[in-house]
Amino acid sequence: MTKYIINRLLGIIPTLLIIITLSFFIVRVAPGGPFASERNLPEVVKRNIEAKYHMDEPLIKQYGRYMFDIIRGDLGPSFKYKDYDVNYYISNSLPKSIVLGICAMGLALLFGISAGIIAAVRQNTWADYLSMGVAVIGISVPLFVIAPVLQLIFAMKLNWLPTSGWYTTGEGYLTIILPAVSLSFAYFANIARLTRSSMLETLRSDYIRTAKAKGMKNSTIIYKHAMKGAMLPIVSYLGPAFAGIITGSIVVEQIFRVPGLGKFFVQSSFNRDYTLIVGVVIVYSLILVIMNFIVDIVYAQLDPRITYK
Amino acid sequence: MVAISKKKEAPLNEFNQIVAGNSLTKDAWRRLKKNRMAVLGMIIVILYSLLAAFAMFLPIHPYDEIILDHQHLRPTLNKSAGDLMMETKLEDLYFKAWRSGSLVVTEAQSEQIKKWIKDNETNKVWNFCYTEGERQKAAGTFTFSDADTRTIERLQKSIDSDFLISVEKIFWKDMETGKIQNLAKMSYEEILPVYAAITKLDIPTIEAQVLQEKRAQVMNSIKETNPGLSEEEYQSSLDIEMMSIGEKGIAATGKTNLLGKIKTTITRSSERTLKQEIKEGTVSFPIDKKVTISENLSAEIEATKKHSRHYLLGTDYSGRDMLSRIIYGGQVSIMIGLIGTLTSVFIGIIVGALAGYLGGKVDFFLMRLVDIMYGLPYMLLVIIFMAIFGRNIMNLFVALAMVSWLTIARMVRGQIMSLKNSEFVEAARSMGASTGRIIFRHMVPNSLSVIIVYSTLRVPAFIMQESFLSFLGLGVQAPYASWGSLVGDAVNGMTLYPWKLIFPAIAMTIFLFAMNFFGDGLRDAFDPQSKNQL
Repeated sequence: MTKYIINRLLGIIPTLLIIITLSFFIVRVAPGGPFASERNLPEVVKRNIEAKYHMDEPLIKQYGRYMFDIIRGDLGPSFKYKDYDVNYYISNSLPKSIVLGICAMGLALLFGISAGIIAAVRQNTWADYLSMGVAVIGISVPLFVIAPVLQLIFAMKLNWLPTSGWYTTGEGYLTIILPAVSLSFAYFANIARLTRSSMLETLRSDYIRTAKAKGMKNSTIIYKHAMKGAMLPIVSYLGPAFAGIITGSIVVEQIFRVPGLGKFFVQSSFNRDYTLIVGVVIVYSLILVIMNFIVDIVYAQLDPRITYK
Repeated sequence: MVAISKKKEAPLNEFNQIVAGNSLTKDAWRRLKKNRMAVLGMIIVILYSLLAAFAMFLPIHPYDEIILDHQHLRPTLNKSAGDLMMETKLEDLYFKAWRSGSLVVTEAQSEQIKKWIKDNETNKVWNFCYTEGERQKAAGTFTFSDADTRTIERLQKSIDSDFLISVEKIFWKDMETGKIQNLAKMSYEEILPVYAAITKLDIPTIEAQVLQEKRAQVMNSIKETNPGLSEEEYQSSLDIEMMSIGEKGIAATGKTNLLGKIKTTITRSSERTLKQEIKEGTVSFPIDKKVTISENLSAEIEATKKHSRHYLLGTDYSGRDMLSRIIYGGQVSIMIGLIGTLTSVFIGIIVGALAGYLGGKVDFFLMRLVDIMYGLPYMLLVIIFMAIFGRNIMNLFVALAMVSWLTIARMVRGQIMSLKNSEFVEAARSMGASTGRIIFRHMVPNSLSVIIVYSTLRVPAFIMQESFLSFLGLGVQAPYASWGSLVGDAVNGMTLYPWKLIFPAIAMTIFLFAMNFFGDGLRDAFDPQSKNQL
């Protein structure tokens, strides 16, 4: 097991390296630069600015310098927002995105698993149809439709919840609800469907029948015996779900004006703010890679049939 | 026994019953037909596709025609654009009257209006002022001031008299031969003397003009896609670009430009005559007639009243019809979904088949590549790609297709590996078939059902990704529309103009619903074991 963990950890390095290299070169190979929109700069000033950000050096040297800086944990200065560096912006906005992501994931897991279990245990009753109906809506309706519609209904028409903002700027903890709910909806739906089908399969398996034959309580069978086996597909779904939540948060942060990392990402791509783009991508990828790693470990722990070398 | 053997040899079982062979597809079709939701989904998908395919033949307004007078008209079943414009104007005037105190309301109502304004409920304010004002005007307790009455009259007059002219066909009569020709069917060289005759310019001047216009147009598009180059770089890339366009390209643009100019001339002159005729009161709309501009230039024109249009689903911020934008947006979205899926399936089949059949090192490297790409936050890379390389539909295809072949590659690889040792492959190999032939003529067709089923499930995902990018402003750009960009445009100001959000959202949701049900049904039909798996 330890060896497997070490191997997986070592496997993270090439992935990150590829991401950094790819995003570094994509942004720099494209025509136009971060200073292209500032017209009519005198040639000298332009050259000075470029020298300040080492843009006059050959690409490969810039790349080497950047990699060296990253190893030291420095993501460089922002090209567009002059006064601060990328680390400042990311450390300021990342916590908000993480809180949002965790809330969404928590909601999706909590409601998805419970809806799935209820649907499986009470198969072909109204509870089953209701939860699967809601799940189909969650799968078919895209996030950027759900979010504004929820905002329109619950914030603007009914006035129950705040329209936008974030609790750190003093608008109350209620601001989390709408973004988190809309972000979690699709994953709730997928998790509910997955839980239902894997639970149904597990409930028909031999060891559950044995447990029933021994005269165990129904609730013990479901929560102690069946749950553990039925959770496997859900755990393996969590990896893609985290990736989806990261991209989804970009939309949600835009709609609900959450000052998180996603807003920065789109803005900096438009601005060609090289260091900020690559910085945000690195942070997102790091989160994603770590999450995938954790998911793999949990999966290995849960499934006794798999032996890792 | 004897009686049966006279007929065609049919296989029999031990009870002398005919055993009918059932192909996989036939069996699947039977199962699919039983699944009512899947059939409904299929019907809806077919309807949508027909609507999208024949959008240009539908009797709807052009999706990109901007009529600024018709900004943000609400959806209506029976009112014309003119009625709505008048209503909006009256709402505004009544509101102003309330402000200035000439429209008298009770204290409580006044408080209510103030509260609505504070809560940003402008729609309610408009509505209230309008109904209250109309009621008071009918009761005779309120009359508009002279200035307001004049404004209303002026608006009414322009609603009654404004018209739109479209030139359908232009004819040119050759004075020497007396032959009448349709200008749209003539070549650039033939149009040149016609244009020269109309404008009384000489041909070399016109040709120079056309070239100049084309150069300016190309330069603009270069500057748009590659900002921040130096003047010399622009000039040189312009020259290269012009060389690749060549004389044919210049002639094609030249024809369109000249035709456009002639059309404008005709429109202007017929506008003048029409206005005169309206003043005399001798016309009735709609007009569809032939006009003669000069002795050898004539045209077929159609004129309709500008404000008698009906917008069933309302209009957007520049007065474009939402209904046709949703239909054409669906066309773009469905096209991107289909073509994108096909491209990614194509890449996936090639990679998966190679990895699965060749095995060994090729397999190892290709699958490691897939693994690493799975770990990438690829939507982020797509966003960067779109933001930096320009936002057009082509880039959108490339960016999305590049990252969405992974799952299909894995699946095809699995299929191929399981088929690798089957007898028919063995047979093909023993007969000396090449690797490519074995893979693409024998193995891929045999795993096609799995691929098709998976592709149907990919289409909605692809549409969602495209719409996601368009929503962020990184996908389809105006005047084109896609469902995603329509929703994206609507999000700002959705309390004031909710129809801009609701209708595209509904159209898209129904399609995705149908597509998901259809895909699920197909999968269950082809592979009953996998029921309810994701």
